[in-house]
Amino acid sequence: MTAVFTRGTLDGAEEATTGEPQPIAPRADCIADSAGGLTFDVTDPGEAGAAHLLLRLRESDPPVEVRLPLAPAADGSLRAALPSSVELAEGRWNAYAQVEGGEPRRLVPGVNDLRSLVDRAPSGSRGHVAVRIPYATKQGNLSVRAWLRAPHTEVGELRIDGTGLTGHGRVYGTALTGAARIEAVLRGDVSRVLRAEVTPAGTADFGFALPYAELADAEGVWDLWLHPAGDEGPRIRLARLLDDVADKKPIFTYPATRVDCVGGQVEVGPYYTNDNDLAVRVSATAVGTSGA
Amino acid sequence: MHISFLIHNAYGIGGTIRTTYNLANTLAEHHDVDIVSVLRHRDEPVFTPDARIRLSHLVDIRKGSPGYDGDLEAYRTPAKVFPSAEGRYAQYSALTDERIAAHLSALRSDVVIGTRPGLNVHIARQARRGVLRVGQEHLTLDSHPKELRLQLRSVYPRLDVLTTTTEADAHAYRQRMRLPGVQVQAVPNPVPAPGIEPADGSHKWVVAAGRLAPVKRYDLLIRAFDKVRRERPDWRLRIYGGGKQKDKLRKLIDDLGLYNHVFLMGPAHPIEPEWAKGSIAAVTSSLESFGMTIVEAMRCGLPVVATDCPHGPGEIIDNGVDGRLVEVGNADAIAGGLLELINDDALRQRMAGAALEDSERFDPARIAERYEDMFHGMLTRGGSLGGRMRGSMHRARGALLGGAYAVRDARRTVPTKGRLA
Repeated sequence: MTAVFTRGTLDGAEEATTGEPQPIAPRADCIADSAGGLTFDVTDPGEAGAAHLLLRLRESDPPVEVRLPLAPAADGSLRAALPSSVELAEGRWNAYAQVEGGEPRRLVPGVNDLRSLVDRAPSGSRGHVAVRIPYATKQGNLSVRAWLRAPHTEVGELRIDGTGLTGHGRVYGTALTGAARIEAVLRGDVSRVLRAEVTPAGTADFGFALPYAELADAEGVWDLWLHPAGDEGPRIRLARLLDDVADKKPIFTYPATRVDCVGGQVEVGPYYTNDNDLAVRVSATAVGTSGA
Repeated sequence: MHISFLIHNAYGIGGTIRTTYNLANTLAEHHDVDIVSVLRHRDEPVFTPDARIRLSHLVDIRKGSPGYDGDLEAYRTPAKVFPSAEGRYAQYSALTDERIAAHLSALRSDVVIGTRPGLNVHIARQARRGVLRVGQEHLTLDSHPKELRLQLRSVYPRLDVLTTTTEADAHAYRQRMRLPGVQVQAVPNPVPAPGIEPADGSHKWVVAAGRLAPVKRYDLLIRAFDKVRRERPDWRLRIYGGGKQKDKLRKLIDDLGLYNHVFLMGPAHPIEPEWAKGSIAAVTSSLESFGMTIVEAMRCGLPVVATDCPHGPGEIIDNGVDGRLVEVGNADAIAGGLLELINDDALRQRMAGAALEDSERFDPARIAERYEDMFHGMLTRGGSLGGRMRGSMHRARGALLGGAYAVRDARRTVPTKGRLA
């Protein structure tokens, strides 16, 4: 018995007899800049013709697409730039490389250099916040998670104690007034709204406190909104978008607190949703541990 | 030279696999190199070998593959050659015994390299005369169970070369294993230069990476960071990796109220861009057979604060110059080491520069040269085994004499399928 060579045979003739090699998916390295722009370096698909990088918004019908020309770069790869001035709607954008006349081929991620997204603090002067984070999907493909929010409320550190949640935030694209408040809206029953105080520190930064006692009376998810000018202005989801983490939910996690309610006790705790919006979940305590 | 690697599973992910590819890819610049994987469980390897490397398998365990071997009776029969005290024994069988033996008896390379104890045993017992028998130990002698040490002791004398990843471990083998005539040599694992710019030291993040396993002592790191946070709340900690300790560590973070400061990031491949987001790396293990993450972080321009545990850290870090060694098992000492670098920007930047420079000695080009010099010396000397260097050695002579290896690029070991945290 000798070894069966399966790839990378030394001479081409031998390779030809083993049939067509499986096409290797084109790979893209991404570099992010702090302004929100992305550069993609795609391994050359090796086919002639003009090439494009194609971003296709998932679940869009008709498909929403952004096409970026892929130009030869010095190292032999093909480069496409997505400047911050090109708008991407909020959502997940699948990335493809397409050679003229050919089918788009899904890209796989190479090296994502996202260091300039860490602890991003945009000036807010543009009135909106644009975020694009390249990431690997569960299937191992390259997608770009995008947010475009005007205005936007960025959540900072959160503190949890026995009675509730306190935190800090910053608004972009609008100003806080003395009438600013936070509202917690029960998902599935928008008539249930609880108000909480905010403490402005200037026109952008604020602190807030959300007591758990009232939230505890309804099991479910409370979505959190900032009304920067009270009844007069817009309402803005509280969210955490300004870093390199595409999916906050499993990484930015917080302890749940046991809180008394009408029927006994519930567990209350903040979490980030699949869209990286901040919410508070109220759920039944685990069976057998209530009253402990 | 024709150099043949024998590896447990070249299609998976893990330190030994990555190290083997890094070394093999570099050696392939000047030599005929093949990698023979005992098992194959997936169609494509996670790491892409150099196009010049021949990759093959001996036993196909892909269900539904035309060559599927899992139904064979011999696959279910326990192995006799592969040592029973080896950690991977359960995955070996009469079928692997048979296929490895057949492979080795037919193999006409100049050098065959085993990459774990059980495969070193096969090589020691079954490689043809005239093939240089090299066993690599990626773990340490201390970490082998007594039963395995006894099993190895009776067979390892038949190797020509035994490599360890540290001098300390080489010393242990020389002292305790009685290996007359075997050249026991420490050769560190190769670590390529990252394919990205080094960290610039401006981010206020400490980064750690590894399996969330008890030996890594991330519990200590988290406790240490509680002290760091009291003095420097502007600094935070990211721990990359997955593992069984996740829930326990999560609870510790929550109990200490560190949820704004310490983050369990999950596994990340490749890891280099994650190092580049930090300014200090932390390694708090109670044992590191080599300390791959230390070298990786240094190559990305991070000074490392590491426990001075057996065996690797002390041989990699030049204490106070390119990193800081602190007492094992002591959260205060770890916090002290971190704060020293956090509180002194100039010191941190100086150490970062030294880390970049000092870690170049682990470049695959340098490590491949060490192997090559060793093989060349053994093969040309070759007296005891008699003219083993006939044939293909001559083909490689030009390469041997002229051979400077290109400095490596991390892209070579970038997984073909990337995964984010």
